[in-house]
Amino acid sequence: MRAETFGRDLWIGWLGVITVLVGWQVIDMLGIFDAATVPGPIDVIDLALERGPLDDLRTHAYASLRRVIIGFTMGAIPAILLGIATGWYRWLGKILWSPIELLRPIPPLAWIPFALIWFGLGENSKIFIILLTAFFPVITNTYKGMISIDPQLIRAAQTMGLKGLRLLWRVAIPAALPDIAVGMRIGLSLSFGALMAAEILAAEEGLGAMIWRARDTGGGVGIIVYGIILIGALNLTIDYLFNQYVLKRQLRWHFSEDAN
Amino acid sequence: MRFSNLTPTGIASRLIDLLIGIVTLVAIGALWEYLVQNGHLNPYFFPPPTEIADELEKITTVGFPRGVTIFSHIQATVLRILKGYAMAAVLGIPIGLFVGSRQFLDRAVMPVVTFARSVATISLLPLMVAWFGVGELSRVLLVFYGCFWVIMTNSAFAVKTIHPQYIQAAETLGASKTQIFFQVMLPASLPRIFSGMKVALGLAFLYIVAVELINAEEGLGSLIWEARTFYRSDTMMVGLFMLSIFGFALAQGLDLLEKVLLPWAESLEEIER
Repeated sequence: MRAETFGRDLWIGWLGVITVLVGWQVIDMLGIFDAATVPGPIDVIDLALERGPLDDLRTHAYASLRRVIIGFTMGAIPAILLGIATGWYRWLGKILWSPIELLRPIPPLAWIPFALIWFGLGENSKIFIILLTAFFPVITNTYKGMISIDPQLIRAAQTMGLKGLRLLWRVAIPAALPDIAVGMRIGLSLSFGALMAAEILAAEEGLGAMIWRARDTGGGVGIIVYGIILIGALNLTIDYLFNQYVLKRQLRWHFSEDAN
Repeated sequence: MRFSNLTPTGIASRLIDLLIGIVTLVAIGALWEYLVQNGHLNPYFFPPPTEIADELEKITTVGFPRGVTIFSHIQATVLRILKGYAMAAVLGIPIGLFVGSRQFLDRAVMPVVTFARSVATISLLPLMVAWFGVGELSRVLLVFYGCFWVIMTNSAFAVKTIHPQYIQAAETLGASKTQIFFQVMLPASLPRIFSGMKVALGLAFLYIVAVELINAEEGLGSLIWEARTFYRSDTMMVGLFMLSIFGFALAQGLDLLEKVLLPWAESLEEIER
């Protein structure tokens, strides 16, 4: 039953995708817009095959992915640890959350100038931006998860003799895990957006740099569109993988009721 | 949840929390100042609070660049956000409601929408510049794009997840189609729409700063970027500080607005996301 609806959904979905592509191509062939400014899907594919050699693309995509993975890991791990610590020890939360609340509303990208001052033009400044982007959603969600644990859960565990760090490790953290995972997913997706801006502002390599430089290298709008689609696809793939393997598989016990 | 606790002890403990927060911030500021004054930190890398305060005063009176005060920067940023955001809400809510209430349309459109949502909004900037030039239009359109999908998908989702019993009950009681729409479906989906608009406003703020960093003459983002080219780290800090206050006020204001306008939203908070 579920497989069947899934198959039908997929089919209708493809219909939508194809309609959009065909519509785009038709608009292009009607010649309302200049093909150089508004290339059709076939033009984009042609251009991609011709001007976007795979080696080049691999370098850019690799540079971007590497930054996201390193930056995200470096942001998420301290965020999870701090989120758990501030949620578990109330006094620590009271002290640490005021500076966090002060920094949290600042869009991470606004730190780019400081990142350049502190870390120079190299790889580290971009990683720093990703780190910041990932840090805040993860710590906020982890903290929220920690302070909204059902108190009965804690009391039940205490009645059975668990206390201290064992209580934290065996009961509190597992109870907060779904929130942590949601925070990570938000952070991951925001990281991608932030990276694009960072690469446009200050990078030689990476997908953001590739599309920004397309104007100078004569690639034109076709390359930009190609790059945008690639970035979207990459972001979607990562989000999908995270959703499938972390949220649905590892945390199946929590998310099972809204699996579809 | 935080506001429901308005007993005298609740207020007292909140005041104490606030006090602890202020003391912590003052302590960090004092330490920072001390480390810079005694040469442990480079004032260019870490402009101390006193310098930032001086600079804040200068920006409000003289302005940076000269003649452009902080108020005109804030105004430029706010206007851009409002234009893009209003456009996204005006188009996104009706389209979302429509798509969400037609099952076939919803299924056909969602893959495309999901993809459009995953496209990093900032990556559209080169395209916008190629199509609409470097002017105000491409900046506003970028904010529009970023907000539109969030508002639209949330509105569509809002309609889809209305409990069918609400509608059945209204039908049994003899309500007409328009009555069902305005008196059952709309109120039931408003909290969800509002939460989409809340997320979208945060994103609008994020995108506009990015756009202003990359290309703009006025606005908080361009203030920070401009300051960098003149090696004015204290001015950059003022910009960040302003963004922090602005972002905080925005979030708090929206939370408050939601509590006032949609008091029934509380119970729906569980289905957030």
